[in-house]
This record gives sequence, structure tokens and C-alpha cells, in this order.
Amino acid sequence: MPTKSYKKYISLFTFVAPAFILYAVFLLIPTISGMVYSFTDWNGLNRNYDFIGFGNFVEALTEDPDFVGSLLFTLKYVVFMVVLQNVFALLLAVFIESRRKTKGFFRTIFFMPNMISTIISAFMWTFVFAQVLPQLAEKTALTFLDQAWIGDPKVSFFSILTVSLWNGVGYMMIIYLAGLQGVPQSLKEAARIDGANAFQTFRNVTLPMITHAITICFFLTLNGAFKVFEVVYGLTGGGPGRSTQVITMNIYEEAFSNNFRYGYASAKSVILFIIILIFTFIQIQVMKRREVEA
Amino acid sequence: MKKIVKGMMITALAATVLAGCGNNANSTNNEGGSTGGGEAKSVKLKMFIAQPRFKEQYDKYIAAFVAKEKADKNIDVSVQLEMPTSDNAAQILKTRLASNDAPDIFALHATNEIPSYYKAGYLEDLSDQPFVGKLLDSVKPAVTTNDGKVVAVPLETISWGYLYNKKIFTEQGITPPTTLTEMKAVTEKLKANKITPFVLSYKEAWIPQLLLPLAAGALIETGNKDFVERMNKDEGSFTEMKSMFDIFDLINANGTDKATEVGGDDGAAAFAAGKGAMWLQGPWYAETILKNDPNMDFGVAPLPINDNPDATLINMGASTSLAVSKTTKNKEVALDFINYVLDDTASNDFFQSLKFNPISNIHTYDSYPWVNDAMVYIKEGKAYQEPKIPQSVKDEVGKGLQAYYAGQLSQDDVLKALDKAWQSYNKVNK
Repeated sequence: MPTKSYKKYISLFTFVAPAFILYAVFLLIPTISGMVYSFTDWNGLNRNYDFIGFGNFVEALTEDPDFVGSLLFTLKYVVFMVVLQNVFALLLAVFIESRRKTKGFFRTIFFMPNMISTIISAFMWTFVFAQVLPQLAEKTALTFLDQAWIGDPKVSFFSILTVSLWNGVGYMMIIYLAGLQGVPQSLKEAARIDGANAFQTFRNVTLPMITHAITICFFLTLNGAFKVFEVVYGLTGGGPGRSTQVITMNIYEEAFSNNFRYGYASAKSVILFIIILIFTFIQIQVMKRREVEA
Repeated sequence: MKKIVKGMMITALAATVLAGCGNNANSTNNEGGSTGGGEAKSVKLKMFIAQPRFKEQYDKYIAAFVAKEKADKNIDVSVQLEMPTSDNAAQILKTRLASNDAPDIFALHATNEIPSYYKAGYLEDLSDQPFVGKLLDSVKPAVTTNDGKVVAVPLETISWGYLYNKKIFTEQGITPPTTLTEMKAVTEKLKANKITPFVLSYKEAWIPQLLLPLAAGALIETGNKDFVERMNKDEGSFTEMKSMFDIFDLINANGTDKATEVGGDDGAAAFAAGKGAMWLQGPWYAETILKNDPNMDFGVAPLPINDNPDATLINMGASTSLAVSKTTKNKEVALDFINYVLDDTASNDFFQSLKFNPISNIHTYDSYPWVNDAMVYIKEGKAYQEPKIPQSVKDEVGKGLQAYYAGQLSQDDVLKALDKAWQSYNKVNK
């Protein structure tokens, strides 16, 4: 009966409506209007603004060295973060999984930094980098600790990485732990009977079995690293100059300081959105293909 | 079927409730202006002042104003005072203005915000209000637009140069230098006595930024009068201001180390602890410095930028100012309040309690020593109006000088970036 399917849609709609309306009002509509603004020269204050087509996009990619610079810096950060965060998280997960009695203890300890809000951990680490480490260097003979950890653009990149990893690894570790616990014991035992050593078991049994966890973790780290803001804001503020400015900061600066070019900043946000979309799309496509079922 | 209908109705109900919230808010807002009673008119005045730390003082002053309106004009005024923190105040205000929900009276930054808000048509012309005549001549230009209209009453004004530790200066028998050569001699003498001449704090970009208003202001005042106008027409260049690096290099060469890791508060602590004799900073950090050391004795002096003693001048600027919205429905009461800010009898105590500098000849209270220091220079005519450099250029100079300090940019790179920032400002605001 045709009315039946019609009814189905009504009940679907009624169930989805409350969440969907909120989602639309607070997320979907602002996102779309942001995209509309990206084609204008609105400055956030004037009542009148003009549509200028792709002018903002062309300017961002061709005439704005600061934007391109921040984009490259972000890419560098993304590469380091995606690799290091997943490697560390997986190592920790494997290590914790191998414990028997102290499993809960280590899991809590390594997850704890994740419970502190990013901006607060950034401020904590600012104190560590600016006060504690130089003092340590003074009291002990470890002179290499006495550096401009967040003031020198060459070093500060690694300071930012350190804090991001410290803060972010715990969460990925939990996902990997769940994945590891889902690997059937029987498969591992079978591999051992076939004469595989620990590394071979891990490489050929465990890893393929947790590919779905890897997919999720890669997606989260990739996505998160592109959108990094608080850590850099709290540690260096993008400085000195613009040497550690990430792309979100460049957008923020364009919209809320400088010339308040909301339209232009929206265009930059759209560019960031498209970049993330492409990267995650490719990543998920590639990794989905490698997933296997037990 | 019944269940579906029920579900639909609940959804509809939820939607109307949500919509109802919005409607209610609107209707209460409109109430104020339109309901005029027979005997006592009642007016609801909305104010937006981003200084929550002064809530007590404002509340008290507003209460006095309400009493006065009732007595003089038989108007029942109820004031709805909104005090967001200054970090997000500009955002909230812009949203209000853009959504036609403008507060009747709002605070904004005189030099940084008045031009763009005036151009967007949000500010009422106040030129013919009585308070204008009471303003000091040195303050008035800060709230006057380029076409000569007074659009706000200033509250907070600042006279600044750099801060110096009076105790160290007396011990060493030195006085604030008036030329660059004298400044060099002073730093040499301090260094000879194992005192670091300058506290450096460049972590936050706005602190090195302070150099530009100081150096450019003095250079503009002594011979380059039309610099800002020419820059606005894309005809000038910051290469004319290159000599500002002379003093900047001198400060950097004789300062505390790791400057890019020291923020404003850390700098205040270092300055209060006597880790440097001078600090490129304004007296707005007085409170923080005194918190670190209540007995700290420091003064404000003009920064020498070249060997012309006439170019060693105090910078005078206004920051927080009150403006009236062009769309206000309660114009009469709003204007009354604006004038009441400089009321002949009440204003003196108000400004004193806020610890702001005097801005009118009706202000006769005693100010702080550092304010008096600056006033001495101002009375000698050794001061200039903060030049109207666009905010985006100031942001750029902060970043540029940070990078210059870190050795990433050359002087020419910085100047070129500044030219570009001003050009793009012109392009956006044409």
C-alpha cells in the first residue's frame, strides 16, 4: 500500500525532528550562511555588503602568504600528529593489554591528561616550559633544558607537538584498547601453534583485526590536527610573529582582529573545510578497504 | 495513527515554545519606549559597558541618575546594564547591532572602534550636547570623527610613554632621558652597575606593538604631520618611520632575555621585582605592578626616539567611551545620561572612584603619581594625540616586531608588511 510507506516517513520524521531541528538551527543554517558569506565582502558590522564571487578564494590562495604559510605549518603538524599520536597510542595500548593486574591503573594514568581541557593543559605547559625547565637546568647540569621552548620558532613546534600528544594520546589509546580486546583469542592461539612469534602474531593477526579501530583513530587525529587551535593559542599565540600560526588561528585573526573581514575569513574556513573533507574522504576510502571481519 | 498525531503535536508544541521564547524577548524590549503613562513616564534604558570590574561604581552612578531623572523630569527610568568581559564584548555588541537589538548606550574604544562604527552608521551625533563644552581640549579629538563630529563621551583616557623604576633611577642619580643619546648613556650607566636597563615582554603581540604609536606619534608630531592622511590615500610608506628601529634595537640589546616567553603579567612581576629599570608599557599595568609590590615607586616618562628632544613626547589617547545608538527609542533619556557622565556635581566622585584620569575641568580630584607625572609633560605641551593608525596595522606591527626580535624578519620586511596591512585596510574600508 502506498500510504504505508508515507506513514513510515512521518514516523521517521517525528522521531528525528527534535534533534534535527536543533541541529539545523544551530549548526546547519550557520554553516550554510557562512558559506554564503564567503562570497561577500562583509566586515561583520556594515549593513550592506556585495557579492564578489570567488574573489575571496582567489585572494586567499594567491595573494595571502600568511594564509599559505599557516596552511603549510598546519600540514606539517598534521603529518607529525597523525603518525606520532597513533604510534604512541597503539604502543601504549599493546603495553597495557599485556599487563594483568595493573591494567586499570595504567589505563587511568595515561587517559588522565585527556580529561584536562586542552587550553588549561596548554597554560600548564607554558609554565613548565617557561619556568620549570629553565629552573631545572639551573639546579641540575642538564643545560640543554635551558631553551626558549616556546619563544624560539624552531623549538616551539616540538613543544606544541609534545603538549598535543600528551593531551591526545590517551583517547586514541582507549579506542585501540577496545579494538585489541575484540581480537579473538583463538586466532592468536592458532597463529602461535603455526609457529608465529609475538611480532608476527601482532603484524599478521592483531593489526588486520583492529583495522576498524585504526580507521577511526586516523580519522579522529587527522580531523583534529587540521582543526588544532587551543594548544597553539595557549602556548605561543602563533608567535613569535606568525611562525607557529596554524590555519584556524589565521582565520580567527582575519575575522576578529585585523580588518574584521568576515567574508574573507569565511572563505578561508570553507577552504579548510574542503581540505579536511578531501583528506578524510581519501583516508576512509583507503582504510575501509583494508578492514577484515573475524 | 493516534500516536503519530500525538508525536506531531508534541513537535509542533516544542517549536512554538521555542519560537515563543524569541517573541517574548522582543516584546519586553519594545515595551520601554512606547508605554508612556499619564503622570510618570517610564523608560527602560539598556546600557552595554564592558567593564565588569567597575560594576559597583556604575551601579551607584546609575542609581543617582535614576533619582535625578525622577526628580527633574518625572521619568521612571529602569536601567538594564549589561557588562560582558572585554574579551568578547565587541562580538556581542556587533551581534546586537547587526540584529537591530542595539543597546541605547554602549561603550566602545575611542581610537580603535569609533571610526568603523561611525562609518557603519550606528553612532548618534552628540556635537551639540552640553558635555562637549566641558571636555579638556586634549581629550576632545579622541572622540571626534574625521568630519568633525563628537560621537561619544570618553571615560577612560591614558597618557603614557614607558614606565621606569623611580627607586633605581634615584639610586643611580639619573633622570628620564630626553634624547636617544642620553638614553644610550643611561643604559650604559645602568649596565655598568649591573642593572638590566629594560624589562622585555614580547610574548603577547600587543606589547611590542606599543612602539608604533609611540614612535610614529612622535615622528608625526615633529614634522610628518600628514602621514596618516597620506597613508589613507595609499601615498605614504612606513619607510618614513624606519628610525623607530633605533630605539627598538637599543631596548632589545639591553633587555632581559627570553622576551618571547614573557607575557604582560610576567613582565609586570619582573618590573616590580626590579629585574629591569624600565619597561615599554603603559600605566594601565599599575594595578598589576602594585599587586606584586605595593610599595613599588614608578613613573611614566616619554620615550626618546631620536636626538631631537622635542620629539620625546607623551602619548595621549582615549579608550573606553560611551556612545548613543542611532536607533534608540529613548533618545532623550539616553542623552540625559551621557550629559550626566560629566555632571557638574556628581561626575568628580564618579571618575575618582573609577580611578580614571581627569578628562574635564570639572574633575578636581588628586590622581596617582604616575598620572601626575604624565600631566606635567602634558601641561608643558610635550604630548600628542594618539595617531589614528588602523587597528589592523597595529596588530600587524606587533607580529612584525615579534618576528623582528626573533630574527625572522628584517627591518624592511616589517615595514613592507605594515605598508601592505594599511593598503589592505584602505581597500577594505574604501
